[in-house]
Amino acid sequence: MKALVLLGCPETPSQTPMAVYVFSKLTKMGYDVVIAANPAAAKLVKISDPEELYNLCIVDLERTLGEIKQGDYDLLVGFVHKDAAASFFVTFEQILQCRSLALVFSRDADEVEEFVNLIDESGSNALIAAVRAFHNPSPIKVKFDRAIKEFE
Amino acid sequence: MSFCLDTYLQQSDNYEIHASKAGFKDCAMIIRFKADDLVYIKPGDEVLGVRVIGIPPIPIGFDHKKGTVFLPYTKPCHGTSVVELPIDEEEVEKIRKLDTGK
Repeated sequence: MKALVLLGCPETPSQTPMAVYVFSKLTKMGYDVVIAANPAAAKLVKISDPEELYNLCIVDLERTLGEIKQGDYDLLVGFVHKDAAASFFVTFEQILQCRSLALVFSRDADEVEEFVNLIDESGSNALIAAVRAFHNPSPIKVKFDRAIKEFE
Repeated sequence: MSFCLDTYLQQSDNYEIHASKAGFKDCAMIIRFKADDLVYIKPGDEVLGVRVIGIPPIPIGFDHKKGTVFLPYTKPCHGTSVVELPIDEEEVEKIRKLDTGK
């Protein structure tokens, strides 16, 4: 089983620890996990694992978008905390046609609702876990832990 | 060699940005407003050598008098922009084949 984890813009502090957490959790569930991120978000994650204890597999987001095709992955997990991240998530989901989980978060409750609506209105089949969060990753972790049980 | 939008935007100044760092819906509205002809495509469909990113239905607009195309262009940290650039008839026909009709 293969899982692709999409990172958004690295501006939000909680994304990096959650990326490592999601990678670890999915690996323990038996997935071969690939993280797709832009160069800045990728560096934040890579430097968080200096001893390479997690064997993180990180690839370039835009190059991956150009290369993927339906069936390449069994699970898509996306961090959605910007309008652009919602667009990327919906686009990857449309191409891959696999089971998917959107982790929607923002410091602003209205933005959380807006991003959830964007994904919903796209006709996506994704499970959406949404919460107000920015600096503190704990609310996202709690939502992720609950949602990922659907994929066990 | 086939056309690649990313390379074109880096190496040419013959294009116009109508909106930048915007939300996808705003950009879609600008394309519908500015274009005199529209097709709608699916996210991930390839236009001018790149997969278009967005929320379906994604509008691609044409100004046939100017011979240009309007399309959304999304980057993770910079949101979505509307780019207008010249296009030839052959590429227009390729895009028409992607039309979902809504």
